[in-house]
Amino acid sequence: MDDTARTAKGKSVDSSAVFFNKIKTYFMKPQNVILLLFGIVLTFTTVAPIVAIVQDTFKIHVGTIDAYLTKKTEGFSIVNYTDLFTSKLAKTNLWTPLVNTVLLAVLTCLISILFGGLFAFLVTRTNLKCKKYLSSIFIFPYIMPQWTLAVVWQNMFNSNEVTGTSNGLLASLFNYRAPIWWCQGLLPCAIVLGLHYAPFAYIMIGGIFKNMDANLEEAATILDTPKWKIMTRVTLPMVKPAILSTILLVFGSAMGSYPVPHYLGLTTLSTKYVSMNSKYTGEASILAIIMMIFGILILGINQMSLKSRKSYTTVTGKSGQISKINLGKVGKYVIAIIFIVVTFFTSIFPIVSFAFETFLPNPGDYSFLYTGNIANLTTKWWVTRGNAASALYGQAGILFNDMIRKALGGTLKVAVACALIAGTIGTLIGYAVSKNRRSKWANYVNNMAFLPYLMPSLAVGAAFFVLFSNEKINLFNTYTLLIIAGVIKYIPFASRSALNSMLQLSGEIEEAAIIQDIPWFKRMFKIIIPIQKSSIISGYLLPFMTCLRELSLFLLLCTQGFILSTTLDYFDEMGLYAFSSAINLILIVLILVFNTAINKITGASLDEGIGGN
Amino acid sequence: MKKKVLSVLLAGCMLMGLVACGSEAPAASTNTATETKTEEASTEEAAPAEEAAVPENLTATQQIIKEAEGMSMEELAKKAIEESNGATFYGVGNSSRGKSALPLFIEYLQSIDPSYTMEFEWQQPKNNKIFEQLTADSLKGEGTFAMTLIQDGNQIESKMVQTGILDTFIPKEWAEANGTTADAYEGYLPLQTLNKVFEYNCTGSKEYTNCWDFVDQDVHALYMDIDSEIVGKNFLYMLTEDKYAAWLKEAFEALPADKQAYFQPTIDEMATDAADLGLGADGKYALAWIKLWVESYNAQTDDGPICNTLVTDSATDQAGLLVYSKLRSVEESDSVSVNNIKVAAYQDGYKGIGGYGYCHYLFVTDNSPLPWTACAFIAYMTCTEDGFSAWGKDMGGYSSNPEVAKAIEATYNHSKGGCDESGAVVYECKNDRGYDWWTTTGELVLEDPEYCASVSFTVGSWIEMLTKYSAE
Repeated sequence: MDDTARTAKGKSVDSSAVFFNKIKTYFMKPQNVILLLFGIVLTFTTVAPIVAIVQDTFKIHVGTIDAYLTKKTEGFSIVNYTDLFTSKLAKTNLWTPLVNTVLLAVLTCLISILFGGLFAFLVTRTNLKCKKYLSSIFIFPYIMPQWTLAVVWQNMFNSNEVTGTSNGLLASLFNYRAPIWWCQGLLPCAIVLGLHYAPFAYIMIGGIFKNMDANLEEAATILDTPKWKIMTRVTLPMVKPAILSTILLVFGSAMGSYPVPHYLGLTTLSTKYVSMNSKYTGEASILAIIMMIFGILILGINQMSLKSRKSYTTVTGKSGQISKINLGKVGKYVIAIIFIVVTFFTSIFPIVSFAFETFLPNPGDYSFLYTGNIANLTTKWWVTRGNAASALYGQAGILFNDMIRKALGGTLKVAVACALIAGTIGTLIGYAVSKNRRSKWANYVNNMAFLPYLMPSLAVGAAFFVLFSNEKINLFNTYTLLIIAGVIKYIPFASRSALNSMLQLSGEIEEAAIIQDIPWFKRMFKIIIPIQKSSIISGYLLPFMTCLRELSLFLLLCTQGFILSTTLDYFDEMGLYAFSSAINLILIVLILVFNTAINKITGASLDEGIGGN
Repeated sequence: MKKKVLSVLLAGCMLMGLVACGSEAPAASTNTATETKTEEASTEEAAPAEEAAVPENLTATQQIIKEAEGMSMEELAKKAIEESNGATFYGVGNSSRGKSALPLFIEYLQSIDPSYTMEFEWQQPKNNKIFEQLTADSLKGEGTFAMTLIQDGNQIESKMVQTGILDTFIPKEWAEANGTTADAYEGYLPLQTLNKVFEYNCTGSKEYTNCWDFVDQDVHALYMDIDSEIVGKNFLYMLTEDKYAAWLKEAFEALPADKQAYFQPTIDEMATDAADLGLGADGKYALAWIKLWVESYNAQTDDGPICNTLVTDSATDQAGLLVYSKLRSVEESDSVSVNNIKVAAYQDGYKGIGGYGYCHYLFVTDNSPLPWTACAFIAYMTCTEDGFSAWGKDMGGYSSNPEVAKAIEATYNHSKGGCDESGAVVYECKNDRGYDWWTTTGELVLEDPEYCASVSFTVGSWIEMLTKYSAE
């Protein structure tokens, strides 16, 4: 062997050794392993349902319009696209629902940001009274299933004269008849969803208001800048990331909301998807894809906004001196009273009305209120045993109702599993991404984890239904399917929360432990998690709470009676408000108990650190 | 302490994940315990019938059905005991009452063999999901669901029967009671006919004496949205059939001149469409009524809320088309009373259609894991009073077996359901006049699955072009 050959061989050995060393070094870092593993898994779990539903739009479905138009019973065709976009029904089936959906999403964002943002400002930056109480009560609408407010809305404002139904409370008690645009359609839908998501805005914007550096505002004040200018030039730009975050999260959720438009009579892509699914199955899948495209667009906008700034929703650099605006001796009480009244109607009144509903002789029968006759109340909805009683439409009383009991068990199973799995995966992703924040792969994994959240729930549910209903895998109506869908959808809660908190964590802390050769698990459990426990716990709490009252995501994946939200929806649709109200109460109590318990054990809670503390 | 709790929480999550992912819902888990039995039973029982069956290309389940159609209830029960003792039975249906009928069926089997046990689960998907669920289940070699109780003849025909997902089984006793045989009978096996009837709140002065009154100016009758309950759309399809279109024409001709003058332009306008859609001579009356109905009805989520609305004293003059049996659960109070409503067809001099009748059909799934038990259960529900009692105890649901219907009436006396103990009429509208009255004098429009399927994309698409009423 001559020298040249020897050198070449040596070089090749060297380069392969270097390569393997690089690989070894790469995999020695836990964050790389996490990113690689979840990058692959999330690519599949996010992309596969999308591919499945895209395929469904080309498939011919027996007994539906595509089979009728193509005169075939199987195979593939583009007829669903041509029919949806060009037929005489295009306006009814596509354009009107699309416009309504976008308007609903925009209005919901607007209302939630204005209401939640104003409340956050008042709680964090002024000397408003009763902050602690208001802060706790403000998040109630988010705890409750979103359509319960819609049902309460109907019970309040419906009237025979305007909506053609029986009189609601206001018409019965005060002879007040709300106009139709206030009872049904876009505006009430947007208000209900806006109130539901306002706590989101409150938590996000409040977090920034609470932590923002007041020196900038003070500097402006010293320079004799007018207050409106300080607000528009200093304060608002600082909370802009939080507003963007809220839009990011609320837009997709409002778009995919099925129950609220369903109850309040607005045709959106979600309601159209459900109504078209029997006869226009393939075309309904196209509607789901359109909803998904919005999710992808939002992700793109998010990416662009990320490029324009280093930090996302957090504002670094805490100032110990937050200046509080003085609302005045009277003002601080008056504004507090206004909010107490408003939150009474958005948070307390629904609970009271749920409880009251369970004692009415007939659903929506408020005879007791205007007669005062105790005979117009009953306990039959609670205590009737067996399902033979015709008075309960074949159902047993709430205390003895097997369907409710089983659904409660099912919900807890799904919520706990989703919270634990999504919380853990999300936390690991958040950690790994924060460690490799400049890596493109980390950015990809982060986006893959976030994408399902931006897609409307109903569309994600539809995609999972299509993916897991075939001859090889058939998971319809199984906890496995619900947990898979829930985990994929809720990982962003944990990953975002973990990422934001990990980014605030200085790398030196972990590096010091690495130098001392402390293993990764120990570093995580002894250093990282204890420091950022409240954010991490939030990453577990949010999927748990959301899962408890999720309907749109699970609507297509299981039957009623399988989990509480589908059971609740079933009873609401059937008009058996006593049962649905009782389930609502169960859900609210459950969430409050868990929230309080976790708050006591770990010190973390949803509105932790914002209101009054 | 807090750290420990956290550690336990995090460490436990993976374990929980594994456990959770492993714990399938009973619904879709294949019951391996019963699998072998079913296979054995299917093979055993299919063998003798095979020779005769081969020329007809029957599937294994169809062969069993063929054999079962020649058996008595008791013989079937014995087969079921043999097949499903200790097994779990999964059924799916549009009616929740299947869950009440199953324990009675098990009791019946136990009266033959006291050692017999069977677990069961009954699912009731809402809206249209039953078709998706059955289609998904049909993709398996052996399905989860043994049988189904299903409504909406149109979709059953096009999605379930033509595709071979569901098989009809006609019990021997049922056929005999109806004066036919399994071979001679054509169509599906109905468990019962349910009726949706026109009702209106009578606390005001308005009266509805003709079916055209429900589509009159400024009337917005309450009705389940035709897109959420497809069976409601079938009602509209059926109106275009010659018989019912003629009923509408007759009712129109009985209207006073001023009302005729109001409806006439719409009827004339429909003449071309009726011809284009290939409808009969009176098709334009049907299309006119459908158009006015779709453009005026106030869509509701279910018949329950419609009933709750109509019986309140504040719903003055309001009308609706809803399941008759909903009246059973109304409790009298200061503002709610069954006497606040009238059943339109019960009024003297009422003209035209009184409502719509549709069936709950029974089928064996073609990949049924327990075909014999499914047949026995179907026979039990359609041929015995106890089997039908889950439905029969309420008004407005009529067994398809005349003998069972008679027995149910004798036991529950629905024709006097609105009377007190002394026989005095307290709630006129709760005196159910029965299937025979409804389908003749009551002019109930009856669902015909084949007709519905045939016009689903002609009349159906025409209906979809109409602008639905919206209060917005």
